[in-house]
Amino acid sequence: MQDLLYFSQQLINGLTIGSAYALIAIGYTMVYGIIGMINFAHGEIYMIGAYTALLAITGLATLGVTWLPLILLIALICAMIVSSSMGWAVERVAYRPVRGRHRLIPLISAIGMSIFLQNYVHLAQGSRNIGFPALIEGGFQFGSSGAFQMSLSYMQITIFITTLICMTLLSLFISRSRTGRACRAVSQDIGMANLLGIDTNRIISATFVIGAALAAVAGLLLGMYYGSIDPLFGFIAGLKAFTAAVLGGIGSIPGAMLGGLILGVSESMTSGYLSGEYKDVVSFGLLILILLFKPTGLLGKPEVEKI
Amino acid sequence: MRTPVKKLAIAVSTSIALLGAGQAAAEIQVGIAGPMTGPVAQYGDMQFSGARMAIEQINANGGVNGEKLVGVEYDDVCDPKQAVTVANSLVNDGVRFVVGHLCSSSTQPASDIYEDEGILMVTPASTSPEITERGYELVFRTIGLDSMQGPVAGNYIASLNPERVAIVHDKQQYGEGIATAVRDTLKGQGVEIAMFEGITAGDKDFSSLITKLKQADVDYVYYGGYHPELGLILRQARQADLDATFMGPEGVGNKDINTIAGEAAEGLLVTLPPSFDQKAENQKLVAAFESKGEDPSGPFVLTSYAAVQLIAEGIEKADSTDPFDVAEALRSNSFETPIGTVEYDKAGDMKSFEFVVYEWHSDGSKTPVK
Repeated sequence: MQDLLYFSQQLINGLTIGSAYALIAIGYTMVYGIIGMINFAHGEIYMIGAYTALLAITGLATLGVTWLPLILLIALICAMIVSSSMGWAVERVAYRPVRGRHRLIPLISAIGMSIFLQNYVHLAQGSRNIGFPALIEGGFQFGSSGAFQMSLSYMQITIFITTLICMTLLSLFISRSRTGRACRAVSQDIGMANLLGIDTNRIISATFVIGAALAAVAGLLLGMYYGSIDPLFGFIAGLKAFTAAVLGGIGSIPGAMLGGLILGVSESMTSGYLSGEYKDVVSFGLLILILLFKPTGLLGKPEVEKI
Repeated sequence: MRTPVKKLAIAVSTSIALLGAGQAAAEIQVGIAGPMTGPVAQYGDMQFSGARMAIEQINANGGVNGEKLVGVEYDDVCDPKQAVTVANSLVNDGVRFVVGHLCSSSTQPASDIYEDEGILMVTPASTSPEITERGYELVFRTIGLDSMQGPVAGNYIASLNPERVAIVHDKQQYGEGIATAVRDTLKGQGVEIAMFEGITAGDKDFSSLITKLKQADVDYVYYGGYHPELGLILRQARQADLDATFMGPEGVGNKDINTIAGEAAEGLLVTLPPSFDQKAENQKLVAAFESKGEDPSGPFVLTSYAAVQLIAEGIEKADSTDPFDVAEALRSNSFETPIGTVEYDKAGDMKSFEFVVYEWHSDGSKTPVK
């Protein structure tokens, strides 16, 4: 009984972190799906989202706002606006001028952008770990056996539900809306879409903005869940989310969700049953295995190399 | 036409070089190397503040053998690679005495360079035993060793009659070293170690670790490492209702842990050097720090002060600025410093250094427990 509870608890831990990875992974996968490049600065966009949310929360606290839903809503909106404009600006400044060149060039440009943003936040906010207030505390306790008690915190529930809402809205947007249809068209054949009168530049910008907005949501959620943020924490999260995107099949949105969940659960199971020391070994080992045996990922479609 | 110009150039450069040499003779450069930026910069602040005060006071009292001390500051970000770069620039700058580095993982690679280049180093904070184990002549410290701090923590936990103890560390030289020392002490006392496990420094999600601690039903958790990770572990453990007492080394004992852990930092046990700023004989010095608006209570402020003082008195005793003579003088004399009487053994370690167990509070204050 205790073993089962322990397993379920680790599963909850893994799913929580996995849903957050999935939110960040969307940004990687959408950009790859549409222009075939990997936006390595995406982890930094997520980090900036977390910082903006923290600044907004601190600002509201100084103004004397105490109603929690209002604080969260305003923090979320601020983070989304700042991150989205950042995502948009990064695309305009660093990727659009080099689009269509050799595929290494946008990649290097992306890595440069990532280093720039990291150091920018370093300078602007300092390099220390900053505590993030725990706004959502408490949770449900159930199923105790021996000394072990399983718990599901309100914060974890918030992360699940928010992820679920974001994913549903995104799927609806991609499958139903006019812009979503244009997104799909551009991802299938950018040249043809252009000929048919779709403003491809606008669609590409929209992709960056959507990915950045979801990363900002993840930034706020994970900032509260973990409890502290620092300018470097986007880097590892970005790598993990990238792994999730590749795992699920880069370019596929359901794949990013699946990849995130698998990665999160495998991490928590490794720490739970083996040792925390092997957590990253397992997650990046998984990435190598997938790349060796199923390079298109779990849900990715085999496709002809775009030239 | 060319020759005179060349001669002139040589003459000018020689006189500049002589001028430079003349200046160097009138003052003694003391390098201060530690983290000014990076995740543990607040420890660096303590180091710089203590060393600056010592230099200022020694100069106000007439300097060392009539020569002024000049502090030259370097930022190593507590990064081993950066520490090597810093050590090399110290060599290039002609500095022959160093107070630093702070993190053991930085001190170790830097000390190789100092020893090779004949530079005397006094670290005010690095506690890893390996640093002085290699038979170096020019390496000293004004702090105890992990091998002294570990047993204090281990014996304290054992004295509380724990049922099951978990030991977690960050896989770095400092953290793992001290965690191993605690484990060995506890084993020697016959205490059951339920878990001995590493985490990744810089990680943020410890929910799996905490679930594991709950499953193992431990009543004490010892953490070897620094505050950014322990702060998060404390906070996430509290949210998951883990009922255990945490303990850590002096690397977790600073006020930043409160900004991360908040209320969860209450009751944390920390082994720290005794509060030198509370000693009656140091009150004049404490007042001098306070008049500058600085806080002398950090664990490395007065050890850094003592490091500068030892370099100065060593030079005076040796009546030489040759680092090897100074090292000899440090080993063969005893010195009265704000951290007590300092005597060195052959390795460059202090013959005695005390660690005390403190209980940490959520407002950042601490009270000694024994």
